[in-house]
Amino acid sequence: MIRIIILSLLLGLAAPAVAQDAVPADAYTRLASDSYGDIEAGIAALAASGDPRAGAVLSALGEGRLLYRPADKALFIKQGDALADARTGAPAQAEGLKPVRANNKIRRALDAAQGQLNLASPDAARRREAADAVFKARDPVALPALDAALARESDAGVKRALAAARAAVLLAKPGTPDAERLAALPSIQARGDGDAIAILRTVAASDPNETVKAAAGRGIQQVETRLAIAAAAQNVWYGVSLGSVLLLAAIGLAITFGVMGIINMAHGEMVMLGAYTTYLVQDAIRAHAPGLFDWSLAISIPCAFLVAGAVGVAIERGIIRFLYGRPLETLLATFGVSLILQQAVRSIFGPTNREVGSPGFMSGAFDLFGLSITWGRLWIVLFSLAVFLGLLFVLRKTAFGLKTRAVTQNRRMAAAMGIRTPWVDAMTFGLGSGIAGIAGVALSQIDNVSPNLGQGYIIDSFLVVVFGGVGNLWGTLVAALTLGVANKLFEPYFGAVLAKIALLVFIILFIQKRPRGLFALKGRAVES
Amino acid sequence: MTRTRLIDPKGWIFLAALAAFCLVVPLLNLGVAEGSGLHLPTYLVSLFGKYLAFALLALSLDLVWGYCGILSLGHGAFFGLGGYAMGMYLMRQIGPRGVYGNPVLPDFMVFLNYKELPWYWLGFDHFAFAALMVLAVPGLLAFVFGWLAFRSRVTGVYLSIITQAMTFALMLAFFRNDMGLGGNNGLTDFKDILGFPVQAQGTRVALFVATGIALALGYLVARFMTVSAYGKILIAVRDAEPRTRFLGYRPEHYKTLAFTVSAMMAGVAGALYVPQVGIINPGEFAPTNSIEAVIWVAVGGRGTLVGAALGAVIVNYAKTVLTGAMPDAWLFALGALFVVVTLFMPKGIVGSLIERFGSPRAKAKLPPEPEIAPKLAEEGQG
Amino acid sequence: MMTRLKTWVSAAALAGGVALASLGAGTARAQETIKVGILHSLSGTMAISETTLKDAMLMLIAEQNKKGGVLGKKLEPVVVDPASNWPLFAEKARELIAKDKVSAVFGCWTSVSRKSVLPVFKELNSILFYPVQYEGEESERNVFYTGAAPNQQAIPAVDYLMKEEKVERWVLEGTDYVYPRTTNKILEAYLTAKGVKPEDISINYTPFGQADWQTRVAAIKSFGSAGKKTAVVSTINGDANVPFYKELANQGIKATDIPVVAFSVGEEELAGIDTKPLVGHLAAWNYFESIDTPENKAFIQQWQAYKKNPKAVTNDPMEAHYIGFNMWVKAVEKAGTVDPDKVIAALPGTEQKNLTGGTSQMLPNHHITKPVFIGEIKDDGQFDVVNKTEGLIPGEAWSKQLEGSKDLEADWVKLNCGNYNTKTKKCGGA
Repeated sequence: MIRIIILSLLLGLAAPAVAQDAVPADAYTRLASDSYGDIEAGIAALAASGDPRAGAVLSALGEGRLLYRPADKALFIKQGDALADARTGAPAQAEGLKPVRANNKIRRALDAAQGQLNLASPDAARRREAADAVFKARDPVALPALDAALARESDAGVKRALAAARAAVLLAKPGTPDAERLAALPSIQARGDGDAIAILRTVAASDPNETVKAAAGRGIQQVETRLAIAAAAQNVWYGVSLGSVLLLAAIGLAITFGVMGIINMAHGEMVMLGAYTTYLVQDAIRAHAPGLFDWSLAISIPCAFLVAGAVGVAIERGIIRFLYGRPLETLLATFGVSLILQQAVRSIFGPTNREVGSPGFMSGAFDLFGLSITWGRLWIVLFSLAVFLGLLFVLRKTAFGLKTRAVTQNRRMAAAMGIRTPWVDAMTFGLGSGIAGIAGVALSQIDNVSPNLGQGYIIDSFLVVVFGGVGNLWGTLVAALTLGVANKLFEPYFGAVLAKIALLVFIILFIQKRPRGLFALKGRAVES
Repeated sequence: MTRTRLIDPKGWIFLAALAAFCLVVPLLNLGVAEGSGLHLPTYLVSLFGKYLAFALLALSLDLVWGYCGILSLGHGAFFGLGGYAMGMYLMRQIGPRGVYGNPVLPDFMVFLNYKELPWYWLGFDHFAFAALMVLAVPGLLAFVFGWLAFRSRVTGVYLSIITQAMTFALMLAFFRNDMGLGGNNGLTDFKDILGFPVQAQGTRVALFVATGIALALGYLVARFMTVSAYGKILIAVRDAEPRTRFLGYRPEHYKTLAFTVSAMMAGVAGALYVPQVGIINPGEFAPTNSIEAVIWVAVGGRGTLVGAALGAVIVNYAKTVLTGAMPDAWLFALGALFVVVTLFMPKGIVGSLIERFGSPRAKAKLPPEPEIAPKLAEEGQG
Repeated sequence: MMTRLKTWVSAAALAGGVALASLGAGTARAQETIKVGILHSLSGTMAISETTLKDAMLMLIAEQNKKGGVLGKKLEPVVVDPASNWPLFAEKARELIAKDKVSAVFGCWTSVSRKSVLPVFKELNSILFYPVQYEGEESERNVFYTGAAPNQQAIPAVDYLMKEEKVERWVLEGTDYVYPRTTNKILEAYLTAKGVKPEDISINYTPFGQADWQTRVAAIKSFGSAGKKTAVVSTINGDANVPFYKELANQGIKATDIPVVAFSVGEEELAGIDTKPLVGHLAAWNYFESIDTPENKAFIQQWQAYKKNPKAVTNDPMEAHYIGFNMWVKAVEKAGTVDPDKVIAALPGTEQKNLTGGTSQMLPNHHITKPVFIGEIKDDGQFDVVNKTEGLIPGEAWSKQLEGSKDLEADWVKLNCGNYNTKTKKCGGA
């Protein structure tokens, strides 16, 4: 079916002036159906027709805006609240409409049809998509049209894509001369991806000519080498991205546990509170100011910081301040707090996941020297680094940071110097909790927003802080990235579980070697 | 210094209460007719047996935490390993009574296409071998782990976190179906133990009494270790490890021994737990389980042994009641219990009692309250 | 001083003893109601899925009571929280049956929780209704399986993909536990029998709660770029699904390129995801909320009114409980008693209209007949049914695809056996 569409569109490109009355009478009627077979045939017929309304009708179908009246099979396009007649585009009124349904087959047919319509698009990116579609379809009938498009093309990137498509078609077509097949190989090789390898493998296995076979074999090797390098780099990137998630999860704990010495089992729940705050903010934005949705995460950050920070201060004032210097008892109390917070969230929001949407700028991916980098992950990496640097600044360069360090290093001396230690304690704990809340905003983008969210991160967070060296922020950064990258480098060889186990064993052994973590505090370490 | 008696008044009360419990429960269950108001249903016998197994786990934890300052967040690992050793024995006793009727392979191996029994299952059809493994596997792991960690002077939270990493790693490993230990489903559907049907009333009572005896023995062992000359040094290590070292002792030897004995006790607790609850699965290795065990000890009173056992029973009893009585809100109650105990009974229930009513000598033996200012480590890295 | 300590400790011990003894009491009350146990986790990792089922049961029981109860007695639900803790499931089951004297229990989700309570139900001879799709390979006298067996979910889904999407290359992606393991083994055998080459099948397992899917999704992407139409059959468990789908969307894998068909993703799970990037991915179930029948409409209305939430969604395991509960009511009325033996005998053959327009029947192997629907995810978090099996499919306790299990047969009516070996002509189990 797709072949017909592509063929017809390409032919249509070569000879664009098909008369209006050539539209088969039933193209629209076929679309107005409950049967997927009819709809698919309708798409093909419409695409083949060269009808100027085809683009509008097909995109309406793709977006679920194409409606039909079962009684007389009339088609309408919904635009906002208004209706338009699909054939003419004129405003219309109608009752009892049903949407034209789409399934995967329909959507694929639509993609092919629409992509092809875009081959003549002024937008180079769209033309490139069209070329890729032909590359995947590998249909000999497209050859003349491809030649025409190649001759017209000025953009170098699109030209390469068209050349690869042409080469793929030539190789697939029976009866292509040996020389042409040989000449086609380099453009395939230039693509250098999994699809290219697949084509080269077929050639290397089944081509009648030995020279072509051997050339394809060499091509496979080259592409595979390139892919292997790209895969290694990709793994490092995945590792950095996982490391940034670990860093985000652990960095608040680096304050409450690392700096203050509180074994804060409720840390994960602070992350969870941050994620739920994001959910509430998005909910409010959806209800009251849908236009601000892309800003929802930015708005959530301060909110999450305040919510989690406030809860943190409350916990500190209510419970932890009675327990300073008794770290093991903070474990007990904060474990209790964590149970209470989980159950509280479960009672308020229910046990099921809450939906947190991704703003537009966080979805999709881009290509960087053969690496596929997703925007969402990139933002999380950048965000975690920003949080890290911000925190470092607060602790190192501000008066508050100075007091925090003074109090945690020598409480009595700090008090003697006139620092209000209880206030500093509360604020420091609030800061750590607030940072955890901020982490929750980012984690809501990649994980379940459920009452169990925090439980998934608490063990890893403690490991990161301990591995890096308690009380050292840089240690936390290095530890998070090391563990993330190591995990991802192991994963392809051992699988996810064994990679994780190997890392845990590594940490246990590493701590034997350096009992104070990667970056031990020098001198009189804070330890109890 | 006067010699401390092996069993102090607190211990006598504990042992007497335990003995009474182990007599009364079977009596009310077997000796009183079913219809009578005094009859104790069999399911409660197993439930009490479970509490006692947990009490033994808490006791083992208190031995290392209360008396040599090792806060293990991974004792669930030893408990689980002991449980698995027993579970493997029980699986082998099923014989051809599995659903596929395979005389050698347990059901899960049949549908995972195992052709023969993996080597590490060999021997588990003998009770004596399994019993040995219940002690040896946790003991060996604890010995190696402790020897490495204590020799490198890993202490405090670092030690706690790597014990947690240990149990977490074991949990992930046991979850793998490729381990050949039943994966997530674990080992279940047991039939016989030593030839007696696991589910029979008599077997349940016997298991319950056996757990009670194990708890009493565990108490005596722990008590012996802590009041002997060895125990004095253990306590010295807890309170000032560097000073003890400067006096010429090797703290790591003392700690490793205590840790290993404690792990074996935890293994026995696990082994007694499994036939009474009827399942062992990797969930036992979950770090939260180990943390919960720490909490039992803290609730009952750290460094009192009796308190640890009592704490385990109280918290688990509360859990049993609350999950039935207020299924939607029991976590609030349990969480609040932990917070309240920490704030108002920092030495736990038994510790608070001793502090109020105990002799000065008894008070002196409680773990010291750490100083308010963080203690300066006397042995920094640089 | 010591005496006071003694008094204290003994007082505490006594108080504990009394409290423990009180656990056993409270059962002497006359039976003016029929008690029904609900054994679903309300906390812990499984609360996310199981809490809804508890509510659904409470609603069904309340509705039945409005109609006058059963045998002239009101039904009384007994809810406990096994807290996603498998040994606790066994303990709570024991408590429900022995202490609360419930007549039947509706509960469990994970296989391990069912395995954990099995010996208890056998020993105390009670009835469990298990509402979730599972791996099969089991048929017990005391358990009634109202969820799908693999032949009622996995195989029709794969058939659909082969026929309609022309899939030639398969990624079987699952969480490492028994349900995915068994399902994938069955599927592997089935696909191989259909002529799929071993190099075109990739099987992979990830741990529970897997949150970082970058590597796996990239691997799927590269496996799928071999020039053959590729699909993913996902048996990924609950929690791990949201990050999996988010990563799919992030890496731009669309349903038109590599469709994912899932067996554990329903309306409830989708409520936590932005489904726009997932449109077209598939799920196979025996029920979808979007199926337009009068029974279903009434059920959804009832549910939304009960939850006081017009957005509350229904899902497949809820329907399973609906069918199971009504079958139990019918069987109790037929038997005229709640005596487990009589109810167990009365259940096979019981028929109950399901919510999708057919009539399900309890089979002698304690599984039920169910229709199988394939649905595509829509952008509103619902499913668009794209395929439906002809008629209802009977659940198979023992898979025909697996060595060791293909000779087994379960029949509690004629053979009174859950694992009768047709070759040796013997009832295999104890």
